[in-house]
Amino acid sequence: MSPTDPLWAVLLALAAALALLFAGRRGAAARGMIGAVLVLVPCAASVAGLVPMGWLAAPLVAALVVAALAREAADPLPGECALKLLWVLGGALALSAVGAALIALATGVASVPEQWAVLRLGLSPSLVWKIAVPLGLLAGIVLLGGAPFHFWVADVFQGVPAAVAPLAVAAMQAAGGAWLVSRLAGVEGFPEGADLAGVVLRTAAAAALLAGAGTILSQRRPERRVGTLASLQGGLALAMLAATLGRGSNSPDAAAWLVPWAAHLALALAGAAPLARLTAMDSLPGAPGSPLFRRHPLSAIAGLYALFSLAGVPGTPGAALWLEVARHLVASGRSGLLVALALAWLTAFAMAMRELREGFGAPAAGDALPNPVPVPVRLALWLSGAGLAAVGVVRLLAR
Amino acid sequence: MRTPSLSRPDARLAGGMLCAAGFALLFARDRFAPALGIELLAAAFWWWARATEEPAVHVPRWAWLRRPATALWLAAAIETVLPAPGGAFAAPPATLEFCWRLEAVLVVWAALELLAALPLTRPYSDLPGPLVERGFWLPALLPSAGFLLLWRQAPIWLDVDVVRDVAALLLLLTATLAALRAFGRRRWTAGLRWLVVWDGALAGVLLASRAIPAPIVALLWAGACGTHTYLLVAELGGATPRRGPVMATLWRATAWTTSTALAWPLLIWAGGAGPHRGLIVLALGGASMALAAWVDVARMPEAPERRTIARPGSGLALGRIAPAFVLAGVPLAFASAWWLGYAADWRLSLLALVPALLGGGTALLTFRSTARAEPGPWARAGQWARRAARRFFRMVVGLERALVAGAGRLLLALATPLRDLHTGDAQEYVLFLAGVAVLAALLPLLR
Repeated sequence: MSPTDPLWAVLLALAAALALLFAGRRGAAARGMIGAVLVLVPCAASVAGLVPMGWLAAPLVAALVVAALAREAADPLPGECALKLLWVLGGALALSAVGAALIALATGVASVPEQWAVLRLGLSPSLVWKIAVPLGLLAGIVLLGGAPFHFWVADVFQGVPAAVAPLAVAAMQAAGGAWLVSRLAGVEGFPEGADLAGVVLRTAAAAALLAGAGTILSQRRPERRVGTLASLQGGLALAMLAATLGRGSNSPDAAAWLVPWAAHLALALAGAAPLARLTAMDSLPGAPGSPLFRRHPLSAIAGLYALFSLAGVPGTPGAALWLEVARHLVASGRSGLLVALALAWLTAFAMAMRELREGFGAPAAGDALPNPVPVPVRLALWLSGAGLAAVGVVRLLAR
Repeated sequence: MRTPSLSRPDARLAGGMLCAAGFALLFARDRFAPALGIELLAAAFWWWARATEEPAVHVPRWAWLRRPATALWLAAAIETVLPAPGGAFAAPPATLEFCWRLEAVLVVWAALELLAALPLTRPYSDLPGPLVERGFWLPALLPSAGFLLLWRQAPIWLDVDVVRDVAALLLLLTATLAALRAFGRRRWTAGLRWLVVWDGALAGVLLASRAIPAPIVALLWAGACGTHTYLLVAELGGATPRRGPVMATLWRATAWTTSTALAWPLLIWAGGAGPHRGLIVLALGGASMALAAWVDVARMPEAPERRTIARPGSGLALGRIAPAFVLAGVPLAFASAWWLGYAADWRLSLLALVPALLGGGTALLTFRSTARAEPGPWARAGQWARRAARRFFRMVVGLERALVAGAGRLLLALATPLRDLHTGDAQEYVLFLAGVAVLAALLPLLR
């Protein structure tokens, strides 16, 4: 992927979000639209890597999203989401801040790479850093939305408008990845610390992938299924960090990988979120398809392409990300995590294929369906699907 | 207002094209080709199923076809992520070994599912296919796909000893159950569907035994499976292969010969394969061969000839030419095998023919010139044997289903707490977060 790809992908995701905002303009006041734009633009900038994503990004992005959701007074669901995010992310950030402070106190330095170097000298009591390292990583793990903290991602997709949810979730997950990278900068210099952090990351990644695999097929609401796919993407990022941790020169790979990963996530979610809103809940096998699929099959296919990319279906740009993580796991000899990744991939793939089959359903008598899907919504699906297809073609040509 | 939509292709045509493309891809050795092939086959069945008058019945019934496709996608993904020899990165040998084994398991899993060799899909050949009126023969496509998969992907699984042995045992059991089921079913078409499963399963065992070269196995399988599939499909075209005594005899002889040719090298191999392995193959393979030969000969009902005068040019009909080609193909296949170095002891060769001769010969004894009003003792024994075969098959399937259902319930019980994570309120989540944080802080201390 060329360096401009993430920027283009995020711009397309932003355009899709604006199209969806335009589609919902009748119900919302102009002030609400401006508020949404004020959230979307910083989120897009952070996902595209235009602003430095250090440890400060996580609290800032989380605070921005929580504040924006709390403003949605007309609908109780965004407010409830804001409350849950505030409690969980606020608590996780506080606990991580305690962990970071403990290490700073034990070492007497503020810079993270220097902290590892000091700890290597063995002057600080091991009890302190052994408690502080997992606590320090907690905020990143929670923000990435991997199980057992996968509920917040699904809650946001169910409770927040489809225009805002994709970029907000992608920005928070990217901030979570950036938090972990910043907390683990230079950890190769302290093998015991790298070992402990590796255990924490591998456990978190395995839990995220296995729990995501275990729950995605039983989710009844399509929005929550997309949310679980996003939390599996968080598990993917955790697996990547776990695979590259402590491998010397490979560590920067994970940080560089996070930017295209987050950009792809934002673009794929921008198509999958509106598709979920237009998909029937609890559709039975063999029942007639959803109105979107019957009335606008090409737009539905564009949205499905985004969902497929999120699930890593072969032939989509998302599959390349899953395979890259798997390659790193093979290289680092993490067979257990590889099996968890395979299970998660298979269930995500199965879920995507089920969406396709249930979406098109059985042919129904009579095609004249009332209420066509608004053009801006279909535009959002096209922007995401076509954007991802273009990314895939560019990659193919570059190969 | 109606907006333009995709035109709806005819379900029969669309499914047929998907199916043909799927089978073509099974022959390719490309990494993702078999996965895509089975996926297209699954899509064909889905397309046919959704176009029936009862999609709510047929769509879920054939949804399992995505499972073998999924296994193959994973196998292809594993091959993709493994480092190429002399590639950019190396991997620990233990991980490589694990990945190779997993890939072999996945390929065999997919093939076994298609060959009805796993409990999850065992009874599918009892059901007609999803295409209305013309679909009763469609399930015969699936074991064929399963064998093609085993044959074309043989380099992946044949070298992994454990996988090869387990696959051979499961296929042998499947061949026995399939022959038993074919014997137990009263309808000729239902019996034929099970004989196609028997062909694929037995050919798979032959492949695993490496008794003769893989291309010869494929040739013998094509003869046996082609005969049974042709007979099944021909039922749609007025059952021409069994119209009149000459045609019926010709096709009986063809089915008997091709089935015998498939089992014969396996039984010869079993004669010299050691006490345990050889005994199992001889017992199960011999019994299933005898049953299959019996069904081939005795079960094909002769239909009355509808025409008093033959149609001009009907002597060159496919139904008459095909047996000649198939029958000529059997000695040719064995000649090719001998040319490639295959040699067999003549005593074992003769002994290996006994089950087929026993099954077919007994079946020939059942033919009578006139029907009797009251069934004799042999006929009553035959009816009893058929009922026993039916009961035994149902018992095995019932037991397998109970085991699978039990495992499913256990998994569901384990997954329930995970689902509950989605239903808490904000305060419960904070408590949960605190609990996880305490755990994260304490566990490293206990290491």
